[in-house]
Amino acid sequence: MQPLMKHFGAGLAALAFAAAAGAAPQRYALDPDNTHVHWELKHFGTSTIRGRFDAISGSVTLDREAHSGSVSISVDTASLSTGTRLFDGVVRGPLLLATSEHPSAYFVATRFVFDGDQLVSVTGEFTVRGSSRPLTLRAMRFACRTDAEPPREVCGGDFEGEFKRSDFGITHSLPFVGDAVRLVVQIEGVRQ
Amino acid sequence: MNKTLLAAAILATAGAAAHAEIATYAVDPTHTFANFEANHMGASTLRGRFDKKEGTVTIDKAAKTGKAEITIDTSSISTGVAPLDTHLKSKDFFNATEFSTAKFVGDKFSFSGDKVTAVAGTLTLLGKTQPVTLTATNYNCYINPMLKREVCGGDFETTISRSAYGMPFGINFGLPDIIRLLIQIEAVKQ
Repeated sequence: MQPLMKHFGAGLAALAFAAAAGAAPQRYALDPDNTHVHWELKHFGTSTIRGRFDAISGSVTLDREAHSGSVSISVDTASLSTGTRLFDGVVRGPLLLATSEHPSAYFVATRFVFDGDQLVSVTGEFTVRGSSRPLTLRAMRFACRTDAEPPREVCGGDFEGEFKRSDFGITHSLPFVGDAVRLVVQIEGVRQ
Repeated sequence: MNKTLLAAAILATAGAAAHAEIATYAVDPTHTFANFEANHMGASTLRGRFDKKEGTVTIDKAAKTGKAEITIDTSSISTGVAPLDTHLKSKDFFNATEFSTAKFVGDKFSFSGDKVTAVAGTLTLLGKTQPVTLTATNYNCYINPMLKREVCGGDFETTISRSAYGMPFGINFGLPDIIRLLIQIEAVKQ
């Protein structure tokens, strides 16, 4: 395609643009069985505490030809799971996520960055405990596949990002429990 | 053995005893987890963990030796998806009714200075025992201000081939054989 583009110049470029503009963005519904938000932070600079949120909803649109997309994800903060009930209660409590007052966390993004056809990052706004700040999630891997049974297209991958919990007013137990939070997101969406 | 050698041997033994600092640490279950990662059909990574475990670690900081024994309750597997947990506990995977525990025994500790860098030993899963080496990505000891005791621990990782333990389900249709294990461990000095 590239040598042809050069040869035919602007005419074909205009045609390609028209094709891209004509390719409607596809909508994908999140597959809750394969969509999880995990988080990691350091305990006394020694070991890594991990937890996840089990209830996540949202939708994604992706235009793989125009290299654009949008994502809107809502996380039920009370669905927190660390494997230790005592911790779950503390993290849900008023000193940390305050899930009664702030039952949802959100990630809303429209800036999709591609390297060639490969999605490399998604930048948007992250809201937790009522505070919003910009957040970039890097795609560690992202691919689409066509399942035979049931017949459907599935796109998904792994994304990572970091934020400081103190930026969102979540300061309890600093500095014994780290300020830097690493987000590890597994996501798969089924084309609608 | 002549007298000189005997004296030297006694001195050496006494010296070693004087330098031995064997300490026993009880695993803190709230800061000890075995997590696993498996890539799902080339796209995203499935993560899970085991919530019930117990164990003890002994470390001789002077001799730079140690022993770790960690037992994991296989039925405590948790992925956040209940039907998947049920499938993972079935005979296709962990067969948790018949093999209710998995066990790691580590008896070859590697050190760099005071820090543990790797623990080699065996992992027993589905009744099969295979060698495994856990590599430390972080290791530290600190005095916990609440417990007022020394706590040692860190993050360890390794990869295993689940087929080597007799768990080949789904490999023929694209589920991964190689599983990454991420271990968080902290243990409190007794």
